[in-house]
Amino acid sequence: MSNTTNILDNFSRIKFYCDTNRCIECHGCDVACKEAHHLPVGVNRRRVVVLNEGQVGKESAVSIACMHCSDAPCAQVCPVDCFYIRADGIVLHDKKTCIGCAYCLYACPFGAPQFPKNGVFESRGSMDKCTFCAGGPEETNSKEEYELYGQNRIAEGKVPMCASMCSTKALLAGSSEEVANIITHRATMRGENIPNAVPNVWKTAYGN
Amino acid sequence: MKTIKTFLLMLFIAFSNLAFAANPSVPQEGGKQYAEVIKGNDTLMVNPMNKNLYGGPEVEAIKNWGIHSPNAVGWGNIFTILQGNYFSTIFAIIVILVPLAFLTHFMVVGQKKFEHGKKIRVFSNYNIIVHWCAAVPFVVLCLTGLVMIFGDKLGGGSFVRFARDVHGIATILFVIFGVLMFLMWIKHALFRAYDIQWLMIMGGYLSKEKKPVPAGKFNAGQKMWFWVCTVGGFIMAISGAYMYFQFADIETLRMMALLHNVLGFLVIALLITHIYMAVFAIEGALNSIIDGHMGEEEIAILHSYYYKEINAA
Repeated sequence: MSNTTNILDNFSRIKFYCDTNRCIECHGCDVACKEAHHLPVGVNRRRVVVLNEGQVGKESAVSIACMHCSDAPCAQVCPVDCFYIRADGIVLHDKKTCIGCAYCLYACPFGAPQFPKNGVFESRGSMDKCTFCAGGPEETNSKEEYELYGQNRIAEGKVPMCASMCSTKALLAGSSEEVANIITHRATMRGENIPNAVPNVWKTAYGN
Repeated sequence: MKTIKTFLLMLFIAFSNLAFAANPSVPQEGGKQYAEVIKGNDTLMVNPMNKNLYGGPEVEAIKNWGIHSPNAVGWGNIFTILQGNYFSTIFAIIVILVPLAFLTHFMVVGQKKFEHGKKIRVFSNYNIIVHWCAAVPFVVLCLTGLVMIFGDKLGGGSFVRFARDVHGIATILFVIFGVLMFLMWIKHALFRAYDIQWLMIMGGYLSKEKKPVPAGKFNAGQKMWFWVCTVGGFIMAISGAYMYFQFADIETLRMMALLHNVLGFLVIALLITHIYMAVFAIEGALNSIIDGHMGEEEIAILHSYYYKEINAA
């Protein structure tokens, strides 16, 4: 029993991983995400960040969204406890409970929580973030779930939109074990030192 | 005086960090790109095209993806620990223990009673109106703030969201009358040498003796409250505006949230004290800010220096 739990903890948690050796900054992932979930202007659940732009040999791009951390800082700080974490590690939240205080944004090291601004006083609505294409607490595949959280592709047995649209297969989504296997294989093919390529400390958002 | 120093220090910390929002140097180890990330990080923070993109912190966090990489720095971790484990507990302790302490005081020492024969006018109508126009939104701010802090106990959703909206609207009213109150009473609220004596005898509140207490128009306790609620309230409004409009980088927003909470402890503790002193500790003290008149004996004992001033005039 404890062995099973351990395996679940270490391997069965879902993960995103962006291989910076492959990401070509095409923004396919963020456009696909926005389109699939019909996100309003100003809300970017996934973004592509470019590092060392224009410096030959140093430039690299990375795609960032909610990393569905196991220690989920957002869930820790939420004053209304609107977050819940599924058994597979997907971090979701209830938009009807959320008060839009933005504490989750302050806690998140990835800047994942998004706040649509509306009205004359720029009042912020409920927080919006990447759901790993797994919808929300409403009935699965219901109209309400779609309107609040977007598509529930996990319920349909598909990988998240961003990862499925990635033309260079830089953005990987799946269980920690699967993702780690792919990047280890890629690193081996490149003849790289394997431990440097395997993200073995990406379990939690802060520290280790 | 110490409270003011603490405020200035906190304010200084809050704004000095604006300049150092990005990560300073991190040792280069292992992975080839991690150390180079720092430069890209700075570029993201200063690039005007990216001002709405929280690039820095994410990129910092990416360093955690690789082995041998340093831990992500910044205030996010500190904020998570404090907000996740301590803030709501501290607020709960304050709203339970402070009234309990005063209840004990009320039962052990009891109310101060004075003769209300001859009355002297101490507050003008302008004083009274400004005081109440600042006081009502202030109490509303504290209450709605507490609703948000204990939002999980109240179920979140529309009620807590409503409290949050009221919190924002009340701020506008408080800022307008808070400024007027600041200008109106700043002269009387400057600290004097005899305030130290007042603090040493705790304002005479620990005994039933009717001995003249060293205090001007306001005693040292009232002066402390004045500075906390005006200057502190102003800092609360600024940090709250930062959090509401999100017009700064993520590190500044985090510090504003910390500042807002830490000042919140002080403001709520002192608000409870102020209400207790005015309503329960001294019989009829509340009347002075309702009709502007205070009993002569009350002034002679609790505001002895002010009494001398009036008699001299």
